[in-house]
Amino acid sequence: MDRFTRRDAFKMGAGAALGTAALAGEASAQAGIPTSPATPPNLPLEPGATIRVIRPTKFVDADETVWNENQAKFIRATGVQVRTDYVGWEDIRAQVAVAARTGAGPDVVAGWAADPHLYYDKILDMTDLATYLGQKYGGWGPLPERFGKRFGTNNWISIPMGCGGGALVYRKSLLNQVGYAAPPNELDRFLDMARKLQRINKPIGFALGNAVGDGNGTANWLLWAHGGYQVDEKGAVTINRKETIEALKYGAELYKTFIPGTLSWLDPSNNKAYISEEISLTGNGVSVYFVLKNDPRTAAIAQDTQHARMPGAQGTRYPETANVLNAMVFRHTRFPNAAKAFIQFMMEADQYDPWLTKCLGYWAHPLLAFDKSAAWSDDPKVLPYRDAQKMPYWIGYKGPISAASGAVDAEYVMVQMFASVCSGQATPQDAAREAERRVTRIYRRAAG
Amino acid sequence: MTEAAKPLSSINTRVDSEVQGGVTEAEGPQMMSWDSHTRRWVVVYIPLLIFLFVLLFPFYWMGVTTFKPDSELLDFKNNNPFWVANPTLANINKLIFETDYTHWLVTTMFVAVGSTFLSILASVLAAYAIQRLRFKGSDYVGLAIYAAYLVPPSILFIPLAQVVFEMGLYDTSFALILTYPTFLVPFCTWLLIGYFKSIPYELEECALIDGASRLQILRRITLPLAVPGLISAGIFAFTLSWNEFIYALAFISSTENKTVPVAILTELVSGDVYHWGALMAGALLGSLPVAIFYMFFVEYYVSSLTGAVKE
Repeated sequence: MDRFTRRDAFKMGAGAALGTAALAGEASAQAGIPTSPATPPNLPLEPGATIRVIRPTKFVDADETVWNENQAKFIRATGVQVRTDYVGWEDIRAQVAVAARTGAGPDVVAGWAADPHLYYDKILDMTDLATYLGQKYGGWGPLPERFGKRFGTNNWISIPMGCGGGALVYRKSLLNQVGYAAPPNELDRFLDMARKLQRINKPIGFALGNAVGDGNGTANWLLWAHGGYQVDEKGAVTINRKETIEALKYGAELYKTFIPGTLSWLDPSNNKAYISEEISLTGNGVSVYFVLKNDPRTAAIAQDTQHARMPGAQGTRYPETANVLNAMVFRHTRFPNAAKAFIQFMMEADQYDPWLTKCLGYWAHPLLAFDKSAAWSDDPKVLPYRDAQKMPYWIGYKGPISAASGAVDAEYVMVQMFASVCSGQATPQDAAREAERRVTRIYRRAAG
Repeated sequence: MTEAAKPLSSINTRVDSEVQGGVTEAEGPQMMSWDSHTRRWVVVYIPLLIFLFVLLFPFYWMGVTTFKPDSELLDFKNNNPFWVANPTLANINKLIFETDYTHWLVTTMFVAVGSTFLSILASVLAAYAIQRLRFKGSDYVGLAIYAAYLVPPSILFIPLAQVVFEMGLYDTSFALILTYPTFLVPFCTWLLIGYFKSIPYELEECALIDGASRLQILRRITLPLAVPGLISAGIFAFTLSWNEFIYALAFISSTENKTVPVAILTELVSGDVYHWGALMAGALLGSLPVAIFYMFFVEYYVSSLTGAVKE
């Protein structure tokens, strides 16, 4: 190790003092975000620290520009050099796998929800930071808490930074035309509405192709709305049950009302169909609305667009989950305190609230105090995305978050189960049996 | 009209055509007696047109999409999907002036040229040794090299990443220049083994009798004769390097060091919003260097596929 001098000790002390004050941002917390007293973790910054961060590429320009502005603030406040590289959404997992396997590369990864659970033995414990943030900002939502803690323990292994929720996106005028003020929560009425929309030649459409977000979103919504789940709490396969059969039958009926072609839809397909006014309703993140709103030529469609929660909720248990942006720090980093301090800084209201607001709520907050953010009052239409962090479901529900639950998602087992029934290739019973066989094989392989 | 009443010239033409193998002047010199226009259309022209359509349509689609405004791109009901009513340069403008596209192009070119040069150099030496030195087990070495080509990059990229990190090459162009030969060398070696095989051994024997060394033979006899083969291997290696994705994704993390295939996806796909116009512009411009490369060397390329020196 390099010689540690008194000068270094002085720098470190000064850095720590500066860092703590700047990081906590007590005095200048963003207006409107309630905070509670909390003691920040002691993170004396390592002298000469430099950290590298990778995260998914921007959803909108503001996502990247505000992130970079906040990063520049951190650099000014602490002297720690930070560099963030943006990686394609589908590609970030390969880079994380390389970093985890080789023990080199980025110090911080703001990656996808399940990633920290795959590499929990290669990343730092984040309990101190998560506890501080939770205390200060009204606690964590149930979904980020589930993805932040190692399954079945109270140890935080990551800091969830945002929850990209899904909701119904619909044309209000068209629903009104068929006698509905808003999409009904009851599944039979929802089917009736879909049939009526089809009759006026403005059908609905949900992705049933191998689409990472939207395809899995459709399948999981239908499954959960009928009380189905792929595995139980211990990871025993439970997909071949009567709830799944019911979900498949309902899915097949609903599919008859879809615009043709949804079996091959990928993630951008429903955006395109909605923007080009081919469909009246779909399930998506806030991105469709964002695009419509920011293009003067489609402002009229944006004006007529509304959002609603997915139907089939039991009370407040909406059959939805969210795509959690989950930050972790690799153990191979030479500057663990600086890396954690960076995440802390980005999560403080002074930085986090502008990011949340400018992204139009695409990454819904994981910390409940941000319910009060102006992001949710500036444009009430995006309100259904606000509670993404409160969703009770997750990928692989009800089982542990693991490589197996991720593999079921990545291999589109649930999507293909629904697609096979909707296309008439399989009966609901056969499709559920086939899904059971595939899920069993994946969970057995992961356990072995 | 009876045979006797026919003009003499028409009879002469028919007789001539029979002598020449049943080809009339109107039908052209290549047409055989058993051939006919209908048959030609069915077995040659129609399959050729289908083939051309399958090959060229993606390029046409890339081109059309590049110049389409978003309004036409998203609305096929009111716009012809196969044509551009109001062409725009906005997508190319976005690609070139709002991203680091030109920088990515330069990086990709540097990587492709570097890895191609290294691979051809290694492959020439390997192929010559295997084909001409005929040491014990050379056939098996040839097979083993080809077997290495069959290992998919998706399996190799993690162990290779370890090597790249150990060598301190992570996030540099050299990480790619030095790893691409793992799949280029086997392919090029295999291709060149076949090519060297078609060069008569007697030419080298003459050189040996004249006192040339092995390296002199390689430099002065074999390589000049193998230029089409080298160009063919070079084109393959260049194209594979240009389009490679997974190593470029895993070993490069800085935006400015990325190659075109990875970078355009990072910059032009925002979540589930695909900027199709700019993406297609990127793909179209990215495919131009390869197309130009082919255009210049197509004759060598074809001749390499049909053998080297005719005995």
